[in-house]
Amino acid sequence: MPSERRIPTEPTLEELSAYLDHELDVATQARVADHVAGCAECTRRLDGLRETVHAVRALPMETPSRTFTIPAQRRQAFRWAPVGWVGGAAAALLIIVAGVTQVHLNGPVGATSTLSQAPAKGSQYSEVAPLDRSNDLAPGVAQRASSANANTVVDPQNSSRSLTISTDASSYRASGVITVHVTTRGLSGAEASSVKLSLSRERGQAGYIVRLEPRSNAPTFPFDYEAAYSIQQMQLPAPVAGGYWLQVTIDMSDHRSLTAWLPLTITP
Amino acid sequence: MVPSKSSNDDRDLVGRARRGDREAFTQLIVQYQVPLYNMALRMVGTPDDAADIAQEAFLRAWEKIRTLRDAPFKSWLFQIAANLCYDHFRRGRRFGVMPDEDQTGSSNVVGLGIATPDPQERTEANERTRLVRDSIQALDHDMRIAIILRDVNGMAYDEIAAVLRVPLGTVKSRIARARAQVQERLQQHPDFFPSREDAHAE
Repeated sequence: MPSERRIPTEPTLEELSAYLDHELDVATQARVADHVAGCAECTRRLDGLRETVHAVRALPMETPSRTFTIPAQRRQAFRWAPVGWVGGAAAALLIIVAGVTQVHLNGPVGATSTLSQAPAKGSQYSEVAPLDRSNDLAPGVAQRASSANANTVVDPQNSSRSLTISTDASSYRASGVITVHVTTRGLSGAEASSVKLSLSRERGQAGYIVRLEPRSNAPTFPFDYEAAYSIQQMQLPAPVAGGYWLQVTIDMSDHRSLTAWLPLTITP
Repeated sequence: MVPSKSSNDDRDLVGRARRGDREAFTQLIVQYQVPLYNMALRMVGTPDDAADIAQEAFLRAWEKIRTLRDAPFKSWLFQIAANLCYDHFRRGRRFGVMPDEDQTGSSNVVGLGIATPDPQERTEANERTRLVRDSIQALDHDMRIAIILRDVNGMAYDEIAAVLRVPLGTVKSRIARARAQVQERLQQHPDFFPSREDAHAE
């Protein structure tokens, strides 16, 4: 009778662990399954490992509290010259990426930090419409180069979804006009509802808030919106000069919202 | 290795980034910042150090992206970050630092999706999180990174092998031993992690 190499039927720790991950070849996966089905001790071992895996996977994903940047002076290992940025902002030119990512639940806890609800008690509030000439601007053409001052946030629960806000400069005179461009990626009309755009002294809704009205109350997705807003029309309280935050929030149908912020400076 | 959907999606962005397109690279950062930061956070334990590592990894990736040939961007990026984690330990903090409660405030937690309004439930959930975090921190670096890449980042074994540049069998072994050690530590806290027998006994 030919001798046959006997495969140990008791699975090793490595096999049980890889079995949970479906990382065994088909034959071994089946052998482990067969053995475990008839072995109380291995069922117990497997359950223990499975509970451990669940515990580790339940660790919350956290978002960094600061912004990741690629400073303009950091070059690739070949000659490269930036084009299309606004001269005055050159020294501070950064690619600003979503350190300010915020995804929160709508409702009693998260609602206070969006403009989808009434402003906080004591804060001032106004609304301003875009300039008519916004209608003449083809979405996403000239100002696409404005992504020198841009911020993109990604939905941590679905990395194919993102929200980008950009402006044509990072610093404006008080008599100037801010051109804002907002786009979404990976969001359909069924997954997103309203879009809120605002300018405020503080992130969130503290201080004076200007709600920047969109041209349409029924946004379509993927969202690609560009509009120009006169700073004078915003009637900002004196002193007007200072740092501001431009914020866009998209409410999603799963009761969460995606918010992106962008810092702006207004000079006298 | 069969290219994953994300590696196919990356290919266009990587190609553009290689030609100096910062916007394309920004999209890559956006795509990977949360998983990369969390990998570093679970490795080194402190938010500030983790953010430093993620930042430096993105900078190095941007500067060296022309040297990336056929390897998937994701594995390459995580390999850079993993090396930075090991550098961090070599600089003297061999086993990371346990984060204080105030360094991991819930304000930065995303993606939980379920609110636990009951303070008692929240306290228990926080304690479970702390125990799991500490159990991972107690592992040696090789086992720690293997279990993090698998169970925090959800990578396949062949992706992990590419990140760590070790054979598949080594990946399998490190993940298994890491899980066994974490399990052993968690079982020391039956109030929070009752075994199946304990649950049946009740």
